[in-house]
This record gives sequence, structure tokens and C-alpha cells, in this order.
Amino acid sequence: MADAQEVKRLNDLAYEMRRMLINLCGEYEGSVHIGGDLSMTDLLIGLFHHGMHLNPDDIKDPARDRFILSKGHGAVCMYIAMCLRGFFDYDEIVKTYGQLDSKYGMHPCRVQLPALECSSGSLGQGLSMATGMAISAKAKKESHRIFCMLGDGETCEGSVWEAALTASSYKLGNLVAVIDRNKQMMCSRNGELINMTPYADKWKAFGWNVIEIDGHDMNAIVDVLDSLPPSSSCRPTAIVAHTIKGKGVDFMERVIGWHAGSLNKEDWAQALKDLAKNYGREEA
Amino acid sequence: MAGSFNFGEWISARSVIGDTLNEIGKTNEKLFVCTPDVGMNLKGFRENFPERYVDVGIAEQNCVGVAAGLALEGNVPVIMGMLPFLSMRACEQVRTAVCYQNLPVRIIGTGGGLTSGGGSTHNAMEDIAILKSMVNMNVLSIGDPNMIRDILKLSMDFPGPMYIRLAQGKKDRQLYEPGTLTFSIGGSVTAREGKDVTIFAHGEMVGLALDAAEILAADGIDVRVIDMYSIKPFDTQAVDKALTETGNLVVWEDHLMSGGLASTIADYFIDRDLRPKTFRRFGIPQVYAGFGSGEEQQRKYGYHIDDVVTYIRSLK
Repeated sequence: MADAQEVKRLNDLAYEMRRMLINLCGEYEGSVHIGGDLSMTDLLIGLFHHGMHLNPDDIKDPARDRFILSKGHGAVCMYIAMCLRGFFDYDEIVKTYGQLDSKYGMHPCRVQLPALECSSGSLGQGLSMATGMAISAKAKKESHRIFCMLGDGETCEGSVWEAALTASSYKLGNLVAVIDRNKQMMCSRNGELINMTPYADKWKAFGWNVIEIDGHDMNAIVDVLDSLPPSSSCRPTAIVAHTIKGKGVDFMERVIGWHAGSLNKEDWAQALKDLAKNYGREEA
Repeated sequence: MAGSFNFGEWISARSVIGDTLNEIGKTNEKLFVCTPDVGMNLKGFRENFPERYVDVGIAEQNCVGVAAGLALEGNVPVIMGMLPFLSMRACEQVRTAVCYQNLPVRIIGTGGGLTSGGGSTHNAMEDIAILKSMVNMNVLSIGDPNMIRDILKLSMDFPGPMYIRLAQGKKDRQLYEPGTLTFSIGGSVTAREGKDVTIFAHGEMVGLALDAAEILAADGIDVRVIDMYSIKPFDTQAVDKALTETGNLVVWEDHLMSGGLASTIADYFIDRDLRPKTFRRFGIPQVYAGFGSGEEQQRKYGYHIDDVVTYIRSLK
């Protein structure tokens, strides 16, 4: 069982991170992929603040765990998770997000922001890169893990399954795919047009060790990250995390229109109010 | 190593690649070899370095993505495959995973132009146009099978991505004595000196251009042949010199006439307001070619050696 204090610390961070996301979505005039950001917030907090071995003071530490954001449109969620971990400055993100020459934009760019492991944004490409990194680590007998965060929508891309096949064939126990299974794409919900179920079975059929969790239950997130098979094991792991798009903001949850957007003053205030209510807190 | 050199003798560029990668692999641990099930000439590397040999099966998109991941970890991955699929099926991975991140991935393959014999599915006739449009990408097209050895060796320390086009790869004509020339990214070889006309060629057409020059010499026409093995970047000095010294320029390539080396050189002239005395390109018109040998198709589509010789004679 996960340590209660650790879970509380992480939940507090997740609350803070959701507030930061909402505030950025209010400050920034353009569109933010807020729905999918809120669905993976707890997972990113679990990864960046508990599960992954990281060193913000030495971003190229060879022993660090690697993180690939395959759902690159959630870049801002990663920036903020990393900023809470000491990698970046939140004010700089808010001040420069999406602007000319900013390091922080809608999709992550490693060339502009070297603390990132890779550039992404074109869906379906991250797991291949993560697989290459895992093959490299295995060849060099390095023991770190490679975590790859995917959206379930992007697993419509065939290249994801090409990579899944390679990863299990090459017995990459050091590779962990985390799937943000929020069951929505930009324009449809799972089953309306494209039916992805049975979902976990697909990963099982590709030879992966599959674990299903509630992606908003910090206890479950901590447990699964604490009990991963060793990186020297012979099967890659897929954590299928069931989540809710827009989680924490009542008027966004499961609403197709909130795949991406920006908040006007009233909605911004309401979003913070909803969030505080859902966390059982006084609004800060 | 290759045996004694005989000009015009045919050897397999693919086996030169296999031998060279095996040789480099012994001293350079950064070298990984990746392939989407096109590893028939890679057996040596596969046996000697199984942990650095990655055959992903018939999955070009993933192959390029995996190579990008390997390069992100400081390795130099060399992909060996078939060019139409590496340049088109995996086009976006090459552009976004490799070029956008400016990674030292090397993409090498066969099937350039109409040499595959497999019909239009297997002909890479658009590849140079596609690849040279990608920022950071370096594009090479190699005819001489021994040149690939030197290029692979220099590629181990070259920082950016590289696309290396071979023609058929099974039977390639030796043009230069190994070890006598130094090749570079952005370089060219003056394969034959001449003062009346210059033929710029790459890949398989270089050998044919030398044949054409020989035929034309009998008519008293002195043809220079430049092997433009590096298409992006390309040797602007060689082009300037040919423009000044010969005036009449011909570009001959086994690629769509539009978008290949001819377009590269034409762009260069436009940007600098330069006017050759005459400028003519030979290559593949806008057509999906059928089956048949390379030579038969060159004849059918108007870029056979006879077409080039006839044209150059007409300049007199």
C-alpha cells in the first residue's frame, strides 16, 4: 500500500498543477489542450514527483529515467509537472507561452528546450523513439527506465502498434508505456465512431505486461509505479490508466468541446471554483 | 576489403555496405544498424553485434522512429532499406523525428529511379525532391560502389541526418580506384575533364555519362562529367566553373526531372541571376513507369544515353 503521506503530498501537487494549468489557460489568449492536460495531470505528478528517477540539477545525468511525451499536445502539462519538480520557472512559462522565440509552445521542442528528451507533437511517433532509447539502454546495460506517455486516441496510429511489436519482440522490460485512456478524441468519444474496446487486451495480445488502473487514484498510481517489474525483465509494461478528460472542472469533464480552448474571465473563475470544490478546499 | 580495381567492373554496393558496417562496428560502439527486413547483406554485423542490430520487421515508420530514439541516446544509427518506403511511407518520421531534431540518422537504400525492376511501387523516383526539401537533411546519391565505404566512415562523425541513395545496389559499376579520391558532404568528382559541354550526373547515370563523353569525343566534342554525388549541399564551385568554362550544361539523373539535381542547379542560377549558354535536363517525366529494365525505361521515357548523345551533338 502506498504511503498515505506521500499520496497526500502528490495529491496536493496535482491540485496545484491543475490550478496552474487553469490559470495558464485563462492568461493565454490562444488555445490550450486543457481537456487532455487535466486527464493526465495525476499521472504526470506520479511520474515526475514519485516514480521517475530524475535530477533537475543535471538534466543529462546518464542514470536518469527518460520521459517521452508521445501525446505532444499535452506539452504544457509536462512543462508544469517539470516546473514543480524544479526544472523550469512557471512565471516564465506563463509569460512566454506560445510567443515568438519562446522555449515553451504548444508542442514540445527539444532543440529549444534541452531538458526534454525529445520533440513530439505528431501523434503516434513517441513509442518508436522510446523503443529506440530502450534498445540503446539494454545494449549498454544501463538500468534506467524509459517512460512513454500516450493518449489513447493516438493509438489509432498504426506506427504505435509497430513499435509495440518491436518492444515486446526485443524484450524491453525497461520500457513503460502509460496510456491516458480518457476515451475521447478531438471529435468523438470511444465507440461513437471508432471502437477501441477491448483496449487492454490489444496490448496483451502484443506481448505486453498490462496493468489497468484508475488514472486519478494517486494510491493506485503510486502502487503501480512502486511495483514495476525490474528494468532487466523481459516484457515491456503498459499502464492503461482510465481517466476523464477535463478532470476536476465540472463544465469540462467529458465534454468534446473542451479538447482544447481558452477561458474567459467568468469560465476561469468558475473552473477554479469547481476545482476547489472537487478537492474539498477553500478556493485559494 | 575490395580486391583489385577494374574500371567498369560491377560489384554490389550492398555488400560493400555490409562489409563496411561490420568493420566500423568493431571499433565504434555508437554504430547501430536498423532495418525494416532488408538485412540480407548485414549478416556479418548481425552476428557480431546482435545487441546493436535492430530489424523491426516490415515497418519503415517504426524503423525510422526507433533510429531517432537510438540517436537521441548518442548513437549513430544506420538504416538499410528500400528507398521508396523509407522516403515515402516513413516520410513524416524522417522529417519530424529525425530532421526536426537534427539527429545523426543515416538512411541508406536501393531502388533509386527506375532501377528496382519492381514497377512504380518500388521505384524511388521522387525521393530526392522529398528529402532535399527537409531542413537539416543532407542528400547523397552514390554511383561508384566503393564510394559508399568512405561516405559511411565519414558519416560516423558527421552531426546531421543523411540520406544516401543507391541505384540498384546489387550490381554497380566501379568508377574510381578506391583510396584515390577524398569525398565530402557537399563535394563532387570531376570524373572527366572537358571544355565544350558539362554533364552533371549522380548515381548510375555517372557511368553512363562517361560512356556518352567517350562517344562524343569521337565526334570532336569535349564533354566534362561531374559526379554530383552530394545533392544537398552541392558543390557550387563545380557548377560555377562549368558555367564559365563550358557554358553548355546538361543534367542527367534517374529521378523526376522536376525536383531533383536539375531543379537544385536551376534554383541556384535563378537566385544568382546566372544564365548558362544552354541548359537541358534529362530524367523521368511525370509518369508512373511500368516494368522493364532500367535501360529500356530510359529509352521509353527519353533519357537514354542515345537521347543525351543526340542532344549534345545538336549543340554543334
